[in-house]
Amino acid sequence: MAEGVLQQEPAPMKAGAKTLVRVENVIKHFPAGLGQSVKAVDGVSFEIVEGETLGLVGESGCGKSTLARLVTQLLPVTSGKIFINDIEVTKLRGEKLRQQRRQMQMIFQDPFASLDPRMTVGDIIAEPLVNFGVMRGRKRSERVQELLKIVGLNPNFNNRYPHEFSGGQRQRIGIARALALNPKLVVCDEAISALDVSIQAQIVNLLEDLQREFKLTYLFIAHDLSVVRHISDRVMVMYLGKIVEVADSAGTYTSPKHPYTKALLSAIPVPDPRIQRGKRLVELSGEIPSPLNPPSGCRFHTRCPIARVPTPCAEVEPPLEEKARGHLAACHFSQDV
Amino acid sequence: MLLDVAGLTVTARVGDADVPIVRDAGFTVAPGRILGIVGESGAGKSTIARVVAGLLPPGFRIASGSVTFEGEDLPAASAARRRELLGRRIAFIPQAPLSSLNPVVSVGRQFAEHLAHARVPRAERRGVAARALAEVRLDDSEALLARYPFQLSGGMCQRVLIAMAFATNPALIVADEPTTALDVTVQAQILELLGDLNRDLGTAIVMITHNMGVVAGLCSRVLVMYAGEIVEQGPVEQIFENPQHPYTWSLLRSIPRVDALRHERLRSIEGLAPDLLHPPAGCRFHPRCPFRIEKCFTDEPRLQEVAPDQLAACWVTMARARKEMGADDLIDIRPGAGSGVRKGELTD
Ligand SMILES: Nc1ncnc2c1ncn2[C@@H]1O[C@H](COP(=O)(O)OP(=O)(O)OP(=O)(O)O)[C@@H](O)[C@H]1O
Ligand SMILES: Nc1ncnc2c1ncn2[C@@H]1O[C@H](COP(=O)(O)OP(=O)(O)OP(=O)(O)O)[C@@H](O)[C@H]1O
Ligand code: SF4
Ligand SMILES: [Mg+2]
Ligand SMILES: [Mg+2]
Repeated sequence: MAEGVLQQEPAPMKAGAKTLVRVENVIKHFPAGLGQSVKAVDGVSFEIVEGETLGLVGESGCGKSTLARLVTQLLPVTSGKIFINDIEVTKLRGEKLRQQRRQMQMIFQDPFASLDPRMTVGDIIAEPLVNFGVMRGRKRSERVQELLKIVGLNPNFNNRYPHEFSGGQRQRIGIARALALNPKLVVCDEAISALDVSIQAQIVNLLEDLQREFKLTYLFIAHDLSVVRHISDRVMVMYLGKIVEVADSAGTYTSPKHPYTKALLSAIPVPDPRIQRGKRLVELSGEIPSPLNPPSGCRFHTRCPIARVPTPCAEVEPPLEEKARGHLAACHFSQDV
Repeated sequence: MLLDVAGLTVTARVGDADVPIVRDAGFTVAPGRILGIVGESGAGKSTIARVVAGLLPPGFRIASGSVTFEGEDLPAASAARRRELLGRRIAFIPQAPLSSLNPVVSVGRQFAEHLAHARVPRAERRGVAARALAEVRLDDSEALLARYPFQLSGGMCQRVLIAMAFATNPALIVADEPTTALDVTVQAQILELLGDLNRDLGTAIVMITHNMGVVAGLCSRVLVMYAGEIVEQGPVEQIFENPQHPYTWSLLRSIPRVDALRHERLRSIEGLAPDLLHPPAGCRFHPRCPFRIEKCFTDEPRLQEVAPDQLAACWVTMARARKEMGADDLIDIRPGAGSGVRKGELTD
C-alpha cells in the first residue's frame, strides 16, 4: 500500500445536518428460475445526510448498481423502506413518484446503453427540462449550451447524435443531463470511469463546486479508490449484497476494520512502473461465491485470510456494528485486520 | 512485425465534411509485446482499435496509410477474410460491455456463436467457454451461460467479453478499456491473466486505458494521443519518469493520489479539447500548453527522437521547459509560456 495512506485527516463535520436519504433493511432479490433467486442486495441500511458525499465501493457484481437503482426508484424493492426527505418513496406511485424523481438523478454506468441514439445531444440534455416543463425556447437552449460547457464539451455539438461521440464524451453527456434540473441527490454509478484522468479531475472538481453551491448530495459509486477517497466524506464497502464497512474516508483508508476492505486497498494499482511491476497482483484469490447461494455465516469467510472456521465465521453472521467512533464494520475479528 | 501501422489517417463524415479523427499515426507491435495507448478522451484511441479489428463504423474511412498484420494488408482484405481474422488471429474487446453483447440472446449462445466462428469444434465449445469464464472469475458457468446480458452486472459483462477474446487463442488482443467496470481485486486478477497469456502463449496485447496503474504494471511501451495524433511514444518507464511532451507531463500530473487529502482540488489540464473540424494551427496542444513558444502557434511539430527509443512531437519538450521555465515548480498550470502558479505564490 502507498505509504501516504497512513496520513490522518480531520473527521468530517456534518453534525446537525439533515438526513436526506434513509435506507432501512432493503432487500432486492431477482428471480433466477428453478425457484432460485439472485440476492443482489440483501438487507442493507444506511443514511446519507444533506450535502454529503457517500462513496460506495465493492467487488464487481456485489450489488452497487442495484442499490443505486433502488435508491433512485428505478427498481422496486423486494422488501424494506427508503425515505428521501422523510417521505417514504418506496410507497409512492404515479405522479407523486414522478415529482419525487425530479430531485434524484442518476448518472449511469454504461454511457453507450443509456443515451437514446435517435435523439440529438441537445434534446437528450433538454429532456428532463421538457418533461418537467422547466424553461422554454431560448432559455432552454441556453441552459443546454451552458451544461455542455460545464462538462467540458463544445456547446456547438448540441445537434450531433450520441454515436458521433467517444466513450468519455458520451459519459459527459449523461452527466450534463443529470445536472439539468438542479437535483438534490445525484447517484453517480461509475460516472467518470471512461474519462482520462485530466477530465476526471475536472468533473470531480465540478461536482464538488456544485455541491458547495447547491448543497448537492452524492452517492458516488466507483472502482477508482483514489477518486473515491478524494470526493467522499464517508465510504461504504459492500460485499455480496451486504454492507461490510462504513466509516469516514480517512478511517476506511487508513485503518480498515474489515479484511475485505484491506484486500481492496492493497490491490490499488500504483501509477509507477517500478513499483507496480514488482507488486504481487492478486491479494484476494478464491472463487467469488455465487449470489444465488451466498456462504453461511460471514459471506466473506470462504476467502478471508483471518477467518476462523467453522466457528464463528462460517456459522454466525457478524452484525454491522461500531468498532471505533463512527466506524462500522461487520467482522468477528476486526481487531486482527 | 505482428502489427505495423504507418501514416494512418482516418476520417469520419460529419454533415458534408470529412473530419480527420486520426491523423498520420504510426506504431508497431512485435509478437508477444504489450503496447499501452493512453490519451485524452476523444483523442482517437478507440478509432485505432476499430481499424485494427476491421470494425470501423459507417461514415468512417481510412484516408491514407497502411495497416499490416502478420504481413497481410488489412484494409485491402476482403470482408470475409476480415471476419475470419477477427476471432481467430485478432480478438477485440470493445469499450462498452453492456451494449456490445446482444441483449436478447443468452450469454451461452453468444459465446457458442463466437467459438463456432473461430472454428472451435462443437463438442469442445462448452468446455472451452466454461474454462475461460472460470479464468475471469465467473464461476458457476452453467447458470451464467443461461442468463441474458441485462441480468449481469457491468463488470460481469466485461469479463464475459474478455473471456470470449482469449478463449480462441488469438495472436493479438486489442482491448479497449477492458477493466473500467472491475473493482481493483478483480482487475488485478484480469491483469495477471493477461500477463500470463502474454508470457506463456506469447499473445500480443494492445491495451487502451485511462488507468495509469494498469499501464505501469502491464505494458512495455506506451503511446500517448492528443486530438487525433500520437504526441509521444516510448518505453513505459521512460515515459512515466521523463515525459517529454507537455501533454503527457500534464496528464501524468493529473493522476489522483490515493493519499490526497479529501476535497483537495485535483489538478487538470485547463481548456477544452479542440474541435477536430477546425483544429488549431501549429501544435494542436498549443492553446492549452503552459510552455508554448511563438513557433508553436504556426509550425506543426513532428515526432522526433527525444531520448533513445522515445519520440515526442513538441518544439520545446520538457527538458527545456524544466531548465528554462521552471516547470517542476509549477503547482497549478495555465496556458502560456512557462505560466502558472508556483509553490508559495498566492492563489485565490
Ligand atoms: N435484472 C436482473 N435480473 C437478474 N439478476 C440481476 C439483474 N440485475 C442485476 N442482477 C444480478 O445482481 C447482482 C448485482 O448486480 P449489480 O449490477 O448491482 O452489481 P454491481 O455491484 O453494480 O457490479 P459492477 O461493479 O460489476 O457494476 C449480480 O449478480 C447480477 O447478476
Ligand atoms: N460517428 C462519428 N461521427 C463523427 N465523429 C465521431 C464519430 N464517432 C466518434 N467521433 C469522434 O471521433 C473522435 C475520436 O473518437 P474515439 O472513440 O476514437 O475516441 P477515444 O480516444 O476512444 O475516446 P474515449 O477515451 O472517450 O473513449 C471523437 O472526438 C469523437 O467525437
Ligand atoms: S467475520 Fe470472519 S470471515 Fe468474516 S471477515 Fe471477519 S474474520 Fe473474515
Ligand atoms: Mg454496476
Ligand atoms: Mg474510446
